[in-house]
Amino acid sequence: MAILTVKNVSKKYGSQTVVDDISFDLESNKCIALIGPNGAGKTTTLRMLTGLIKQSSGSISFLSSEQKDFRFCTGYLPQYPVFYNWMTGFEYLIFCAKLAYIDKKEARSRALNLLDKVGLTEAKNKRIGSYSGGMKQRLGIAQAIIHQPKLVILDEPVSALDPLGRREVLTLMEELKQEMTILFSTHILNDADEISDELLLLHEGKIIEAGSMQRLRNKYQSDTIELEFEKGTKNYISDIQALETVLAVTSNKHTIHVSVTEINSARKEILEAATKNNWPLVNFTIKRASLEDMFMKAVS
Amino acid sequence: MQWITMFKKEVLESWRNKKWIWVPIVMMLLTMMDPISYYYLPEIINLAGGVPEGTIIEIPSLAPTEVVMMSLEQLSLFGVFIIVLTSMSTIAGERQNGTTEIILVKPIKHHNYVTAKWTAFLLLIWFGLFLGMLINWYYTNLLFGDLSFLTMVKIVMFYGLWFTLVLTISIFFNTLFKVPGLVAACTVITLLILSVINMIFGHKLTLFPNQLSTYIYQMIETNSISNQLVGTSVIILFLCGILLFLSIYLFKNKEVMN
Repeated sequence: MAILTVKNVSKKYGSQTVVDDISFDLESNKCIALIGPNGAGKTTTLRMLTGLIKQSSGSISFLSSEQKDFRFCTGYLPQYPVFYNWMTGFEYLIFCAKLAYIDKKEARSRALNLLDKVGLTEAKNKRIGSYSGGMKQRLGIAQAIIHQPKLVILDEPVSALDPLGRREVLTLMEELKQEMTILFSTHILNDADEISDELLLLHEGKIIEAGSMQRLRNKYQSDTIELEFEKGTKNYISDIQALETVLAVTSNKHTIHVSVTEINSARKEILEAATKNNWPLVNFTIKRASLEDMFMKAVS
Repeated sequence: MQWITMFKKEVLESWRNKKWIWVPIVMMLLTMMDPISYYYLPEIINLAGGVPEGTIIEIPSLAPTEVVMMSLEQLSLFGVFIIVLTSMSTIAGERQNGTTEIILVKPIKHHNYVTAKWTAFLLLIWFGLFLGMLINWYYTNLLFGDLSFLTMVKIVMFYGLWFTLVLTISIFFNTLFKVPGLVAACTVITLLILSVINMIFGHKLTLFPNQLSTYIYQMIETNSISNQLVGTSVIILFLCGILLFLSIYLFKNKEVMN
């Protein structure tokens, strides 16, 4: 079931089109990555979904319409979250909960719960001003989900963090995936690869590719098999070229890259030939398209 | 409930950044200065030196009402500056530094956001004004003669309306711009324009907001509340209402981030 439908949305600033006629649906309980280089319009898109800015044209509709104000079912973490530094983390979470009409008792228990979940229990009574970047990011996630939204929107949640902080936040997102839809933007393809089910590729304000990770993999699959031989490759190149499923071969001293028509039959044929002729194989790898390859292909 | 949450946050913020301490203190210093310095003026001149032996300095004695008016004049200049300085970044600053990016994504009603802030600042400046006039009343009674407590309370009630208008103008510009300095500048310019209009057309516009202090003076002198004073007060309240309504409207229809 789609919980959010975006139809032909554009955003113009003067004559500059930042987001150009994008349409997509968000399915419930999926983790969707919005990928694109800097300046592709990711932040603008996310801000339009939160209502912080209004689209120039097109429509954004939330299907869960039991609440009049869609902000009840969305949570948002900005790219550079700014808090009230004079508040403590605990106070801030209670404040955010109460803004969403959660009563005092419930707000306290949810705040304590979330502080525990994001690992800020020890720092809960310290002023936010003294928090580190990673702690602020985790507090930012906690405030985004304190009112238990159906959709949480995270703008570059891990880009500014060190490897440790990045790992913490990714683990947290992995947990959240069970309970709600996550839409997050990133320009780091590895992060998207790691936790997202679906991708939206944004480039120069347009969505150039969308779909599940698997579908995109298949579409941009390079269908390459890499063979590594014990002693030199030159004796085997012609044998491999002679195989039916092989399209092209490139080689260097120890490895041969084989482009094939179809992975499954090629694997069978090559392995059979290898057994029959007793090839001194060291390594047999099916090269899968990385997100980076997909992205480069989709953009070009 | 949401309004109370927002209001409490504002009061707590003003408390933590010490506005609840320094605003009343500055107001008190402003209103204390005139009665004390006027009373001790001969001593001050003597201490400053350069006065030949035997010089007799005659300072006309002031009526308590005149002392109060001198202090009100201090407030109408420096008091107004304090209001502008404390309130210039309440919304503009939050938009500039980005805290609104989180807050306005919560299901907060725009009128709650604006009016809670307005009320919290109102409380702060009325509290400052009250303490300031209280200490002024104390010194006036001590050094110059009787001024009833009730009169002092009436002065606070009516003069507070002027402060309220200043605050509301500042809140209005807060929703319009996101640079606190610009908010302060526009508020001050608006007040200057009001005062110029009052100077030129004041004799015809009898209920112009800037006439308030004239009528307050009459009230102290005659000890009765004139129709003009009530009329001017109503006009000020009406203006505040309109400005507040416009502020909410502007704030709601503005793109907070761009």
